[in-house]
Amino acid sequence: MQTPTITTMSGDSRQTAFREYVLPELDVMLRVARRLTRSPHEAEDLVQDALVRAYRALDRFDGRYPRAWLLTILRNTHYNRLRKRTPDLLEDELAQKLPGRGADARDGTSEAALGSGFDPLVHDALKSLSIKHRQVIALVDLDGLTYQEAADMLGIPPGTVMSRLHRARAKVREHLEAAGFGQETS
Amino acid sequence: MTWFRRGAITPLSAEPDCHEVARVLQAFLDGELGPDNAEKVAAHLAHCEPCDIESNTVDAVRDAIRAQRPDIDVDELGRLESFVNDIDRHAT
Repeated sequence: MQTPTITTMSGDSRQTAFREYVLPELDVMLRVARRLTRSPHEAEDLVQDALVRAYRALDRFDGRYPRAWLLTILRNTHYNRLRKRTPDLLEDELAQKLPGRGADARDGTSEAALGSGFDPLVHDALKSLSIKHRQVIALVDLDGLTYQEAADMLGIPPGTVMSRLHRARAKVREHLEAAGFGQETS
Repeated sequence: MTWFRRGAITPLSAEPDCHEVARVLQAFLDGELGPDNAEKVAAHLAHCEPCDIESNTVDAVRDAIRAQRPDIDVDELGRLESFVNDIDRHAT
């Protein structure tokens, strides 16, 4: 018996397949959307828009890497919403508003986007990082993306994500060690 | 789209030394090493105390950072799950 492809599936099966791809990724989509929009309300709206686009594009999805597929759609949806909101903005000006493209405040890695500060010491250490270091920490450590997924979001090679992450964590470690972290003896 | 396959890092030697392990330690802890390399790193850490201490420290820093992860509102997530369950209606 031949396995049905997404294009030949009935409406119900199509929805079931979509749910299987999407439900495990909703948390990470929402986290990244918050980082992009810096607004909980707008983030939920952005995720909904991206989900509708993803559902309409389901026939073209090969079923591999659903998280990367969804994050690409999320990012493109965010880009289109920005463009719609500011139609007079030139393409390169718009690109500056995306994460990893310039030092615009909307890169979502500002102090407020770094977490709720459960530990003031760690929070201070993160605040002290440069934007490009904060970006990788935010995407990998706080949002839970892989190196490749973070690289796609930032438009940089995965090797650069790895090296920036290494430097960023080393700086956090220095900050924590200067405050006595990990130096107690048992 | 190109993919950075887990394990795309150069294969380690059969018995990597401390220098080699230090180079890939972060990727190992992040689960970004392929199974062959990961097995070699794990074997090295099992018998090298200085590398094991370094690994625990790097891990502790990573955990401290990850503890800063903001909570996601369960109601918000619930609304999105309902949205997905009713996606056919929203998309038409």
